[in-house]
Amino acid sequence: MLIRQISVFLENKKGKFAEIARLLGNANINMKAFTVSETEDFGIARIIVERAQIDRAFNLIKANSYAVTMTQVVYLECGDYPGAMANVLERLAAADISVEYMYAFADSRSEFSRVIIRPDKTELANQIVQEI
Amino acid sequence: MRELQGEKLKKIVAHAYRNSPFYKKRFDEHGVHPDDIRTIDDIVKMPFTEKQDLRDNYPFGMICVPMNEILRLHASSGTTGKPIVVGYTAKDLDNWSEAVARCLTAFGLGRDDMIQISYGYGLFTGGLGAHDGVQKIGGTVIPTSSGNTRKQIQLMEDFGSTAVACTPSYALYMAEEIRKQGINIKSLKLKVGIFGAEPWTNAMRRELEEKLNIKAYDIYGLTEISGPGVGGECECQNGTHLWEDLYYPEIIDPVTLRAVETGQEGELVFTTLDKWGMPMIRYRTRDLTYLDYDKCECGRTAVRMGKILGRSDDMMIIRGVNVFPSQVESILLEFPEYEPYFLIEVGRINNTDTFDIQVEVKPEFYTDQVNELVRLRQRLISRIQSVIGIQPNIKIVQPNTIERSTGKAKRAIDYRKFN
Repeated sequence: MLIRQISVFLENKKGKFAEIARLLGNANINMKAFTVSETEDFGIARIIVERAQIDRAFNLIKANSYAVTMTQVVYLECGDYPGAMANVLERLAAADISVEYMYAFADSRSEFSRVIIRPDKTELANQIVQEI
Repeated sequence: MRELQGEKLKKIVAHAYRNSPFYKKRFDEHGVHPDDIRTIDDIVKMPFTEKQDLRDNYPFGMICVPMNEILRLHASSGTTGKPIVVGYTAKDLDNWSEAVARCLTAFGLGRDDMIQISYGYGLFTGGLGAHDGVQKIGGTVIPTSSGNTRKQIQLMEDFGSTAVACTPSYALYMAEEIRKQGINIKSLKLKVGIFGAEPWTNAMRRELEEKLNIKAYDIYGLTEISGPGVGGECECQNGTHLWEDLYYPEIIDPVTLRAVETGQEGELVFTTLDKWGMPMIRYRTRDLTYLDYDKCECGRTAVRMGKILGRSDDMMIIRGVNVFPSQVESILLEFPEYEPYFLIEVGRINNTDTFDIQVEVKPEFYTDQVNELVRLRQRLISRIQSVIGIQPNIKIVQPNTIERSTGKAKRAIDYRKFN
């Protein structure tokens, strides 16, 4: 499934991600998943929220002078057993799709692991994971 | 002295008028003719020359002799990639080395000294300027140029250098290296430091004198006027003597452009009285200082300049390199991805200048790809390094966090303490 992800540019200063988290928290928006990539000089926080709340979250962050972008990413529920992820990734590689980044998060109420993939060919990757 | 200065001024103004289309046009526009100059006091009738004039006439537009009379060219970094260029005749080089020689003599150096020149050799005037001055006094030149600190220290030990010429910040760095190597400073023969090309404080002087077991002297100069040696301290270290038979100094109010009262602070202006390849008539240095005409306790009558108190423009000297905020601005304007707003922050850590620049990426160019932002940042670093000559640390900040130019936005903060 294709879903939208919010990416926020973080300056290399203490407490930057805390500011974003607080902003969303105060607006009663729950982060379902996130990951932070960092370099020596800056970071980028990638955040998933409930579909119904994403536009509100995006506008809220933007209105507070953060650099924020919206990206389409592939969401999949991957079986929680050995080799499940390998199956997915092999299929993508076979279709000449590169993964720019990906991250996973667990959900205790489900038998699946939830995985976010940012591939170079989004539509094609989405098609492939749906066939699995 | 004033008589000599007047005679020299008449000749150099006539030379400039006759041989330079630039000066002829400038004097004509100003309604002044060389015949109007009779004494040194008439200098105020002449128009000023500015750094921009040198840039506009890049490379050789201000040279007043046939190029085959120019023996050497030097250049210093410019604001938009173009450096300023200066050319010297045989006589100019001789006068320049004379000026440096006077400084070295005032520092107590002579023919028995081995002087290590750790200023960069090349287009920069520091290396070759000091080199010629040492030869003039009959001393021994050790032309190490800058960098390769380990080797500098080894030669200092092996050759027994008695003096070292470099920027004061590099001298502190060398001192630190000497300490790290566990060398007893008393075992070196070093006795004098010839320091210039960047502002330094009395605290730095004390630190250098203690760590290197030397007497540290200031040597002043600027490329446009000839290079290092326009002036230097004497043993009294109560101001910098300016060799006013060669370089005539004035202090003006940078706003009204009129002379200030003797002893008052203002902008330093030089006229080169005996420089033929590229004379500078009333060149505005933008350095703020004052002049003291009282006779010095050392016996020299040459006028003394006080500490440089600042700049009448926004130039900064970072790691010995002249940096104008406008350079950063023009570079940012070359990049569609960046906003034209920035904040330069200069500091000093372990005796090395830090050079940070905060910039903003335009909202539409932010991406969630880390690599793209890293590349964008690296492109800006490379471009600034190639234009200005030193590497900045670029800090990308959030949109709308840098103060927008509302007339006089603060575009640079200098955390270094010089006073």
